[in-house]
Formats: sequence, C-alpha cells, structure tokens
Amino acid sequence: MFDDIAFWLGYLTNGKHLAWYASFQFTIFAAVMGGLFAILFGLTGAMLKSSRFWPLRLLGTLYSSIVRGVPDVLFFLFFPLAFEQAVEWLVATQVCSPEMIAAQTAAWPPCGEANWYLDTPQYLMLASVSLGIVYGAFASNVIHGAMRSVPKGQLEAARAYGMSAAQVMWRIHIRQMWVYALPGLSNVWMLIIKATSLLSLLQIADIVLWADRLGAPNFLPTVGLVHDDWRWRYYLVLFVFYILATWVSERGFEALMRRAGRGILSEGRV
Amino acid sequence: MQAFLSDLGFMAPAVMFNIYFAAASIPIGFVLAIFLALGKASSNPLISRLSRGYIYAFRGSPLFIQFFMFYSLALSLNVALWKPWGLSGVVLHPLFMGPLVLILNTAAYTAEIFYGALRAVPGGELEAARAYGMKPAQQFRRVTWPNLIRLAWPAYTNEVVFLFHATAIVYFALPVVGGQKDLMITAKDLFERDYNAFLHFSVAALFFLCVSLVVFFVFGLIYRRLIRHMPPQPGLRFSFNWLR
Repeated sequence: MFDDIAFWLGYLTNGKHLAWYASFQFTIFAAVMGGLFAILFGLTGAMLKSSRFWPLRLLGTLYSSIVRGVPDVLFFLFFPLAFEQAVEWLVATQVCSPEMIAAQTAAWPPCGEANWYLDTPQYLMLASVSLGIVYGAFASNVIHGAMRSVPKGQLEAARAYGMSAAQVMWRIHIRQMWVYALPGLSNVWMLIIKATSLLSLLQIADIVLWADRLGAPNFLPTVGLVHDDWRWRYYLVLFVFYILATWVSERGFEALMRRAGRGILSEGRV
Repeated sequence: MQAFLSDLGFMAPAVMFNIYFAAASIPIGFVLAIFLALGKASSNPLISRLSRGYIYAFRGSPLFIQFFMFYSLALSLNVALWKPWGLSGVVLHPLFMGPLVLILNTAAYTAEIFYGALRAVPGGELEAARAYGMKPAQQFRRVTWPNLIRLAWPAYTNEVVFLFHATAIVYFALPVVGGQKDLMITAKDLFERDYNAFLHFSVAALFFLCVSLVVFFVFGLIYRRLIRHMPPQPGLRFSFNWLR
C-alpha cells in the first residue's frame, strides 16, 4: 500500500513529469497573450469597421471575413511561417551579396547569413500574435455589435458636454461597450483556450507534446518495460484539464459580467 | 501563375478527403444530436445529467485533444479487441477514426444548437397539438420537429462550416496512411519542398473558402424550402456566424 503510494509519488514527480507540469506555462502564456492580442486586434477591427472612410471599412470587413472564412489552424500555421520568411527576406536584402545568393543551394533562405533561427519564446510570441489575429477577427465582430448597442443618448450627452470625437470614443463609447461585449468575448476566450492545444504544431514543447512523450511505451534496458502505451491516460488528463479550464473561465466571466453590469439595469445580467 | 495552377491541381484530390470527413460525420452527428438534445431536455434526471455532461465535455475541450485521446485509446485496445476480431485495419484507419471523433464532437455542438431551438418552440402550438389529442410521438413529429429544425437551421449551417474547417486538423493528430493527404498536409508538404508559404497556404485557404461558400449556398436553399410557408421576411440573408 505504502509502496504503491511511494511509487506513484516518485513516478509523478520524476524529471520528465516535472517538465510536463512546467510546460503548462506555455499554454497559459499563449492563452493570456493571445487573449490580449485578440482584444487589441478586435478593437482595431471594430474601429475600422465603423470608420467613416470606406477603404478602412473595407479593410475591417475583409480582415474579419477572410480570417473567419478559413480554418484557424491554417492561419495559425501560416502566420508564424510567413512572418519568419518576411523577416528573413528583409535581412537578406541587407546582408546577402550576389555571390552568397549564388552559393546558396537550399530554396530558402536566400543566403545562410539571413537565416533566422526561432527558439521557443519567439515561437510562443508568434503563436500568441497569430491567435490574436485569428480570434481578433471574432472579437472585432463581437465588439462591433456591442458598440452599436451602447445607448445613443449616452453619446449625445457626451457630445453635448463638448467632448471631442476621440474623447467620446474612449471615455464613453468603449467604456460602456464592455457590458454588451462580455458575453461574446467570453465565447471568444473559450475558443482561444481550446486553440492553445495547437501549440505543438509550432514545435513548442507544450503539454500535448509532453503527454505524447510521457505516455509512449516506456522501455528501460535495466528494468525492462516500465509501462506500455499509456498515452490515452495522459490525453484523458488533458481532456479533463481543458474542461476544468473552461469551467473556471465560465465562472470567472460570470463574476466579471456581474461586476461590469452593476449600476446598469438588466443588460449586464444576461 | 503556373505554380498557382499546379497547386490547384495538387490540392483538388486533397480537398476530397476534407469533404469526405465532413460528409461522413454530418449525417450521423445530426441524428445523434437530436437524441442528445432531447436527452438534455428530458425530465428524467439521469438522462438529462448524462446528456448535459456529454455536451459540456465535448464542447469544453479541444477537438485536437479528442482526436489524440480516442486514437490512442483505440491503439491501446488494439491487442485486446481489434486484432482478435480482425478489425485493426479498419478501426485504426484515419478514414474511420477521423469521422468517428468528428461525429462525437459535432454531435455535442449540434445538440446544444438543437436544445436552444427546442426551448424556443412555441408553447401554444404544443398545447394545440395536445388539445387535438396527439400522442407524444405525433407531437414531436408534427409540431416540435418542424419548428425545431426551422429555428436551428441558420446556426446549424454555421456548425457545418465549422466542422468542415475542423477537418483541417484530422491529419495533424492521425497518421497519414498511403499518401491520403488532406488539404493541410498537402500544403505543408508543398511548403517544405520550396518554402513558398504564401502560395501554398493561400491556395489551401481558397479551397476551404470555396467549399464553405458552397455549403452556405446549399444550406441556404434548404432553409428557403423550410420557411416557404412563412410570410416573406425582409432582407433574409446568410452571414458568417462568428462563434461556434
């Protein structure tokens, strides 16, 4: 009995498991940063959409409909690759001489000196930005709708007080918009949480990759077979982890909505 | 231009795999979702709890994890079950495993849509049906179901498009067997050959966009038929729904 407990304690705290627990930071970081970027891109998109100049309006609409019209995983893969290549191309125009380009045998980069090697923090940042771009398109639609729900009287009153257009926007419009946007933003947040499971596609050693490594049949020459294929148990743990994360966020957003909706009749309580 | 056309040629067979995954899972997921939605609305606490839990679990966790979980589960049951039954070639094949997980996933999302529609079915019509002496089965077939499907159809259309987009990750979780590559794997392989991210991923995106538009068109036609007896509504049109 005690042997069993000691074994499981030892097993669950061995180096690989500790690395697995540590890798949760990547997932949490990507979710939080992705969420912040999504708000940023969402606000920008919503402002573009309600802009007075039609080219900006078109840009906002194109942004949200194109990003939304293709699978998130496609954009999630495409953006970091494209960004890396764009930087490499920019560097190549500066550092590559014609001889170096002629000497390069691989298709990319133009010359070896322009190669940009990305490590985990950089990939993580790129992944967060691409999460932000993808779900910013969703958020822009939510925010756009919420901005239209702010009572017109509030804006008129602000203008009557002599506020400039920018002041009305920041002090009144965006302040009051959150109450209407929160239910939609909570859904976007759930989508971002679920999308963080894709981090391993960008060579980040995240919780999914570690679960796969830890669960794979484990054979040590000195001991023999430690365990056979346990991957499904590890994935089950992740399955439960994500459900719990969803549940916790739901409760969190409920509290946030109650707080944002205080002093406002009915609307905040939906 | 030449490269663009050759990409179109490369990806035309690949898109068939995505369409297969969606087409194989939508009908079964649809039927399963009806039962789940009815289960969630059931007055039997056990059935209601179970359906509720199922829907919550599958909507609250990533499809990517669900793929890994069910595939590795199937792998570890291989020696005990599939192999003795001579089924391992079928069960472990992505063309079986992919739709299976997609069915489980889409059933949960669709059930939530149907449950919302079920609660919006006008109570007066049900009372009228009861007053006519209809049996429960008759009530469902003649009153509840037509109302439910009509209310749920626009949201269901979006769910189908989301499901089609979700087929993009099937082969990131399951092994590619015998060169059966879908759009994403084809785009990735082409990218690894000449590192032209902009071309290959754009062409793949174009395919996804085109099929999504076809889905919207076809489902729009069905919706027009579903509401043909209703007074014409001004400016009825389909737009992307933003959230799944």
